Amino acid sequence: MRKRIGFFICHCGINIAGTVDVKKVSEGLSKYPGVVHSEDYIYMCSDPGQSRMVEAIKEKKLDKVVIACCSPTLHETTFRNAAKVAGINSFQCEIANVREQCSWVHKDMKKATAKAIKISKAAIERARLNESLEPISVPVTRRALVIGGGISGIQSALDLANSGYEVILVERSPSIGGHMIQLSETFPTLDCSQCIMTPKMVEVSKHPKIKLLTYSEIQEVAGYIGNFKVKILKKPTYVDPDKCTLCDECTKVCPVAVPNEFELGLTRRRAIYIPFPQAIPATYTLDINNCPGLFPIACGKCADVCEPGAIDFDMKPEILEEEVGSIIVSTGYDLYGKEEMAEYGYGKYEDVLDGLQFERLLSASGPTMGKILRPSDHKEPKEVVFIQCVGSRDPELHCAYCSKICCMYTAKHAMLYKHHVHDGQPYVFYIDIRSGGKDYEEFVQRAIEEDGVIYLRGKVSKIFQEGDKIKVWGVDTLSGKVIEIDADMVVLAMAMRPSEGASELAKKLKIALDKDGFLAEAHPKLRPVESLTSGMFLAGAAQAPKDIPEAVAQASGAAVKAVNILSQDRLYHSPTIATVNLTLCTGCGMCVDVCAYEAIKLEEGKAVVNEVLCEGCGTCSATCLRAAIKVKNITPLQVHEMIKVALGG
Amino acid sequence: MVKLDDIKKECKSILEEGKVKYIVGYKRNNNYYMSIPAFIEKIEETDQLIWDPTCVYNLVRFLRDEKLRKERQKTPDTRPIGVIVKGCDSRAINVLLQEKFIKRENVYIIGVACEKSGVIEKKKLRKKFNEKNIKQIEFGKDNNFIITTEKGKTTISAEEILAERCIECNNNTPVIYDVLLGEKVERSLSEHFRSLEKFESISTEEKWNFWKKELDKCIRCYACRSVCPMCYCDECIADSISLAVKPDTTAEEKAQKIRWVEKSPVSSENFSYHLIRALHLAGRCIDCGECERVCPVDIPLRYLNKKMEKEASEQFGYTAGLDPEKPALVSDFKDDDPQDFII
Repeated sequence: MRKRIGFFICHCGINIAGTVDVKKVSEGLSKYPGVVHSEDYIYMCSDPGQSRMVEAIKEKKLDKVVIACCSPTLHETTFRNAAKVAGINSFQCEIANVREQCSWVHKDMKKATAKAIKISKAAIERARLNESLEPISVPVTRRALVIGGGISGIQSALDLANSGYEVILVERSPSIGGHMIQLSETFPTLDCSQCIMTPKMVEVSKHPKIKLLTYSEIQEVAGYIGNFKVKILKKPTYVDPDKCTLCDECTKVCPVAVPNEFELGLTRRRAIYIPFPQAIPATYTLDINNCPGLFPIACGKCADVCEPGAIDFDMKPEILEEEVGSIIVSTGYDLYGKEEMAEYGYGKYEDVLDGLQFERLLSASGPTMGKILRPSDHKEPKEVVFIQCVGSRDPELHCAYCSKICCMYTAKHAMLYKHHVHDGQPYVFYIDIRSGGKDYEEFVQRAIEEDGVIYLRGKVSKIFQEGDKIKVWGVDTLSGKVIEIDADMVVLAMAMRPSEGASELAKKLKIALDKDGFLAEAHPKLRPVESLTSGMFLAGAAQAPKDIPEAVAQASGAAVKAVNILSQDRLYHSPTIATVNLTLCTGCGMCVDVCAYEAIKLEEGKAVVNEVLCEGCGTCSATCLRAAIKVKNITPLQVHEMIKVALGG
Repeated sequence: MVKLDDIKKECKSILEEGKVKYIVGYKRNNNYYMSIPAFIEKIEETDQLIWDPTCVYNLVRFLRDEKLRKERQKTPDTRPIGVIVKGCDSRAINVLLQEKFIKRENVYIIGVACEKSGVIEKKKLRKKFNEKNIKQIEFGKDNNFIITTEKGKTTISAEEILAERCIECNNNTPVIYDVLLGEKVERSLSEHFRSLEKFESISTEEKWNFWKKELDKCIRCYACRSVCPMCYCDECIADSISLAVKPDTTAEEKAQKIRWVEKSPVSSENFSYHLIRALHLAGRCIDCGECERVCPVDIPLRYLNKKMEKEASEQFGYTAGLDPEKPALVSDFKDDDPQDFII
């Protein structure tokens, strides 16, 4: 049966019509074999534009339509839906891109018009051979996985659980809480971080829909949106949380002392320890790397004193297999490495601290019980220098990006210092103050005006120890004066960077990283919480530096995105996928290696495509030396016919 | 230099033990100095085996025939076949393993190291001798060849008649084998890719003219394709008529057959054929030189493939046939792959 093809060209205002003679294209195409209807219209994507197409399909009994307009990434869905409304299969609608690939990139009207005609003819040739297809549907596993138990992960998990979905929250350290639980007070309201964080942590631990897996890591992720299969490694803590009564006898006898991670090395902990009093789950963990030895047992003192017998040296690592429909990644941040910042004496002088260490000094539950004392001699510092942008905004040597939160927390640090030490003097070296955010600018002004924090616009040139003072040399670029401060303590606002291991995890999840190693979002403006892998979402500082309100907002956003999937009965997948001609396939496996979605496997020496994993990108088709694999509706024959027309033949 | 007796001894022992079905090696051709492939099934036949500078053929090609033969048989003898390979030929086996065309257990590889020598190129030989007078060519001492003619024996420096690919070769020892005969010797007779310099220095127009002249000679006999160990597809994309239509070929598949290349030996079609072949061999060609050797109209095909080999090496650090476990050139990517060709 002869095909009845309809052709429409959009003016797109003057976007297309300014360079392409659309009347001429429409006229030219009206004589092309198979075309029974050809017209131009000012905005095809507008409601009247779509109606014209629907009417033409009905009136002239068209069975295929080609729209010459903008890129198919923009309006292909619009026109395909309209085609469906008109009663033809949506895959019988094809787009000829005459804007991005023609009018926008050319000036000469005559040549651009000729090219637009060729592009349109090629699309008609493609449409002629298009198969009618129906979307592939798959069931959904209505559970979610949240990776990372900081404030973002906690928020996502709670939002999902409160929407009625089961959540598995995986955290690699012994307790949830992340960096937020380490903070003293939070800007701009100065409420106690632990006080606002712990209720959420408790809610997580008590929530019937949340399965909390601490001291656990993601080992393997397979599957696809709606149907992920995850392997989780649960490391042994050697302590049974149900038996443990938190009597703390074990730490008293443990002979080992190592730097305490929670206190950022300001104090030491035992090999058996609880990270902090409010830890969730509330139990001890035996750190196998620092224990004198379990196999054979070299010490065993902790087990000897443990009355309830909670310590079990025979505990083994477990691998749990879970099925989930959606994954939220909230792996957070770490501070830029000490070793990178030798020029500021970081790691060399005891009284040069980073922002998180200073938080611990400020914290009422910290190593000094909320008193600000120098780590070196436990004296109260009278002059403290805060340096901003340490490692940030330094494309030559360190990180090019702005870590975003440092301006605000430095103002907070200086302010809180002044609240603790009334006769002390805080100085802040800054490049500029970035205080965009609700009540943020007022907060900084308060630090300057009410608390007398001296802000110096300039960079520090040298830091060195002289006697018990730390000399800070710098310049105030506003007054042009050289500044020399005999400081008692220096606090560095270190850059934020993606947490350790985030890139390895990203590889397991097959989600992309940006140039700085943060997890890449699908679109910087319109899809900021989605990753490029469908079904996986991003939350918190793992995606980019951000403060608590932003992290929480993104976490809730990610949870809603996950609910979008989990609330469906079935998910629909594009049917334009790769198919294998088994006669031609030699089973060389090149397509298997090249497939970015791991959608192809070799079975009995032939390639087999998983139709849900396949995204129809066509890389396999381009790689296959035997032309044995092709993507539906963009087959080699279609490409051949399109080339033939484009070459004028 | 590898002793012929060692090769014979090895072949005898594996045949005796019944390890292999038969062995593909080289034997003397009646009344001609060039060797020919030998298929040795019986122990007494091993005496026919020879090893001299005329053992140019890449015998890996016969693994394909063996595979096809086995597929046709109802109860095939599943023992491996033995094959004698040089350094270059051994890499062809690696490519076939990488592409899962053969299985390692299907082949018993008798690797023979070329050491400091290699094989002859007939074109070079013809310039110096009247081929008809030559009776035999043997490896001599000190990297020389001994040529026996009717008039007696002449010693000639190997480099004078050594194949260009052997001069450039840096894989003179087999990289995969069950048994290796001869010594692993490091050598560099010349820089790798030296032969390409001449082509790379000329202008685009000169290049076009050169290849047009060469490819216009092509009579599309497909000898290059028939001899190539990598050209093992049942159905070549260059064929438009002689398609392997099998009982399970659907009507749709028949309708979708595309004539990418027409049969007629005209410039455009010849270019299409040879460029498709060169691209399909990128990251696979191991420079055994067989295509160029068998070309009846002397098209310097090796240069096309060598250029692809150079691009793969310089742009992506990839050499074909070194590791069958690694992904192939075109099915692998690294974050730091060059991207400057993207506009």
